[in-house]
Amino acid sequence: MDKLGISHARNAEVRAWMKKETAAQKKRYQLIVKEQDDLAPKRDKWIADFLQRIQTRGFNVDADMMRIIKPEEIPTRPKRKFKVVF
Amino acid sequence: MARPHIEPFVERNEDFKKMTMSGFGKGMHYKMLSFDTDTGACTMKVRFDSGYKRPPGFSYSEVEMFLLKGTLKYGDTIYQEGHYFLIPPGVSMPAMSSSRGCEVLLMYNGSEPDFVETDIDHDYADRARFAEVNSYQGMPWMAPAVNPPRTATGCLLKVLKYDERTHAMSFLYILSPEFWQDNISYHDCAEESYHIWGTSWMMQFGDLPTGGYFWRPPYINHGAFACKRGTIAFGRTDSELFNHFHFNPWSNAKENEERSVSRLMHRNPEIYNWIAQRDHNHPHPQDFEHPDDHGHSHSHDHDHGKKK
Repeated sequence: MDKLGISHARNAEVRAWMKKETAAQKKRYQLIVKEQDDLAPKRDKWIADFLQRIQTRGFNVDADMMRIIKPEEIPTRPKRKFKVVF
Repeated sequence: MARPHIEPFVERNEDFKKMTMSGFGKGMHYKMLSFDTDTGACTMKVRFDSGYKRPPGFSYSEVEMFLLKGTLKYGDTIYQEGHYFLIPPGVSMPAMSSSRGCEVLLMYNGSEPDFVETDIDHDYADRARFAEVNSYQGMPWMAPAVNPPRTATGCLLKVLKYDERTHAMSFLYILSPEFWQDNISYHDCAEESYHIWGTSWMMQFGDLPTGGYFWRPPYINHGAFACKRGTIAFGRTDSELFNHFHFNPWSNAKENEERSVSRLMHRNPEIYNWIAQRDHNHPHPQDFEHPDDHGHSHSHDHDHGKKK
């Protein structure tokens, strides 16, 4: 027993329901990964805009306190595959 | 697999499914938003049909419920939109009904949805933790964090649940019209959100509209942020929400996690040292923003494990 639950046995009905929901959840995850991969060209543009803005308007360090990022501070994109869903 | 990263998901594009498990009766329909494939813990959007009735009973799981639309009756009390319930495991709730139907967010935090018909609490029930409040009425909006780094002006919240040990929270939050914040954030906790109304934008995932949802494991980049017309949403974390801001769009979850530890080493050196020196477990976390910064001095001889 912890704050989140009291241990109990699962019957066959519950196990079958969980199996179905697990399959559905895995399918949804794969779909989201694909949708997010398809969004890559737009995201690349959003990132380019962001990296530009933080060099002009600034980066939110804390609340509305902004810091202008110097060109030499801008990170370079690594060669590995870029993922946003993990 | 636990709960996978579900982001973004728009439930309005899905149909409700009939809840067929024993104990829930007729007239309960659900959309699964996220599901822990190991424990069965889950977040669902649920529709109770008009005339839905359920006898008194409890769940073996901690349950949270947020009333999105319509009214719901427990015992003799009718609850309105915006009402939030925290029901500890084993606490028996009175008979429930909804004469005109309603929609709720329903969260089972410890295990799969279940219902045990009884008007007596389980022996292990901690009734003192039960809480209910109408989040739309009579609660002030507050700034989300007192200690920096904080979110930009225009993000406000109402804390509905706070766990003093884990610092986990459930909260209602708003983003004002024209909200923006130009940084990338991640946290050491899992984070969850459901958009009751409004659309917000994040640089990784694009627009999250009304009915939009995410369950995000720790250390995953999100932001920059923007919201054109305002948003009201229900959110949760599973431990302390600390904002780690940066501007590297390509850092991954592993690097963010290591950076968190490095930042802890600088922010809380005493506690870091206690953890690190116990049994000489002596990690040397790398901060991708400060790759050459070892962070502290010491006089023993071992490999610091820097990445080649």
